[in-house]
Amino acid sequence: MNRGILKFSLNLIILLFSLSCIFPIVWIFYSSFKTQSEFMLSPLALPSSLAFDNVVSVIEQTKMGLYVLNSFRNTTISVVFIVLISFFTGYFLSRFRFRGRNFLYTYFTLGMLIPLHALLVPLYIQLRAFNAINQWFTLLFPYVAFGLPIGIILVESYIGTIPKELEEAAFIDGSSFTRTLFTIVLPLASPILATVAIIQFFQTWNEFAFALILVTKEALRTVPVGLTVFKSAYITDYPRLMAAIIITMLPVMILYFSFSKRVMEGMTTGAVKG
Amino acid sequence: MISLLLEQIHSDVMKEGGSLKNSSMRPKLGVAVLYLLPGILLYTLVVVIPIFNSFRLSFFRWSGGLKRTFIGLENYYILFQDSVFWQSFRNNIIITLISIVGQIGIAFIFSSFLYSRMIKFKSFHRVVVYFPATISAVVVGFVWSFVFNYDYGLINQVLEFLNLGSLASTWLDNPNTIIYIVSFPIVWQYIGFYMVIILSAMTSIDKHIYEMSEIDGANGIQKAIKITLPLIKRTMGVTVMLCIAGNMRIFDHIYVMTGGGPGTSSMVMALHVYKTTFIKSQFGYASAISVAILVLSLTLILISKLLINRPWARAK
Repeated sequence: MNRGILKFSLNLIILLFSLSCIFPIVWIFYSSFKTQSEFMLSPLALPSSLAFDNVVSVIEQTKMGLYVLNSFRNTTISVVFIVLISFFTGYFLSRFRFRGRNFLYTYFTLGMLIPLHALLVPLYIQLRAFNAINQWFTLLFPYVAFGLPIGIILVESYIGTIPKELEEAAFIDGSSFTRTLFTIVLPLASPILATVAIIQFFQTWNEFAFALILVTKEALRTVPVGLTVFKSAYITDYPRLMAAIIITMLPVMILYFSFSKRVMEGMTTGAVKG
Repeated sequence: MISLLLEQIHSDVMKEGGSLKNSSMRPKLGVAVLYLLPGILLYTLVVVIPIFNSFRLSFFRWSGGLKRTFIGLENYYILFQDSVFWQSFRNNIIITLISIVGQIGIAFIFSSFLYSRMIKFKSFHRVVVYFPATISAVVVGFVWSFVFNYDYGLINQVLEFLNLGSLASTWLDNPNTIIYIVSFPIVWQYIGFYMVIILSAMTSIDKHIYEMSEIDGANGIQKAIKITLPLIKRTMGVTVMLCIAGNMRIFDHIYVMTGGGPGTSSMVMALHVYKTTFIKSQFGYASAISVAILVLSLTLILISKLLINRPWARAK
């Protein structure tokens, strides 16, 4: 009986906690359907109607669509490169012993501990010297580089779990290294590559500081920066700003809730193996 | 993932299991270079070289144009006396400490809950709690600015609703408490991240240990502290390091919620660098600050690693 009460209260606590993790988002979501005056009258209440006016006005009257396009372009290209480079590097680090292998591994993984924002100024200066600021490809450099540590760690540990017999068999049959890599290893590694892709999609889509500094042209602006620009424009029209927020979160939410299982699996890969 | 990181960096980097012993499978050097060089080059260019550049530029006075003056250690002398910088550093430390207790502490507690047999809907909780970690920090900052808003914010509205309207306050305008207010969304966003990591580390613990302890009469709290915690020590060490690293570079949330204000009471180091560079155009000085951030962060991470692993205390 005592146990029953304990069980109930534990469940309750964690339920409340989980709900608090989504409630702010839920609040923003249904508030975006309100008109400005409706919101100011009663911020907590549910909207009287599902008016998409705010969403429509954000899409039509602002450059949000452009920002989404820019973010999308940056993110997809970056993710492709991150996945490829992580795959190659992780494979080599996992399969071969060579001089400098440990150094290389540590070299990449230390990147996770470096305060990236300490690189803001010098990177800005470097890219500016090559006239590489405010270009469509500017952000690809930092985005790909920053995604490599996690990608390489994940791929390297996963490849270790793939039996090497298949590669050896292919080699005996006369397959070249490259051919084996792409026709045998790549498909086998696709689960971890998918995980890397998803995780890096979030990281890159949401990146703010470097996007703020390295790209100031409005035509190339990304979504997070675009949002901060909105804030000054819509300073009191909260529902409209909330609609903008919801629009920017939509790709991420769809991706996340569709693939949450894979994301969780990716995060726990290490533990299962270890 | 994270526990593996630590494993690798420590001792068993040379695992034989997955490596190809048959060296004739190895590709020619040229091929290997082709595959590895782009990544190494890019990473070096973007992550490693800027560190050296930062260091080099910190010895100059430079406003970003053509003229650059060498001034030796002068930037560092100024840095030692820069009260805004040290206030920022203090704020970073406060946020980091709150995060270690809040993010990792709460994550551990809830992981323990979720790990026990008593909780239902585990998947739901995991998915929902991790969700905030996938949103942009800018969005989180915005959302919580709304929540703390004096007139329409969630908190004040709820307080009114509960007839506690007198407790409502201008949360974002009080320089004394602002740093704690601002820590809230930061902690909130990443609890799920650490929870997933800790949970996965817990699942690798052999359940028999718990069963045996139950025979000896151990209750839930004892099991968590005396059994679980020591067994996942490595993972906890890594999470603390990641937490410190992440909070030393905190930028987005503060930029969006307060811009460092009121005044400079919520300034953090990364924001200070930003303002010094792009608002005050002091590139040389900003480089010195960047170097300081790097050195301070890595020092703190090192200290935390030593404190947790205690290499000098062999008997444990």
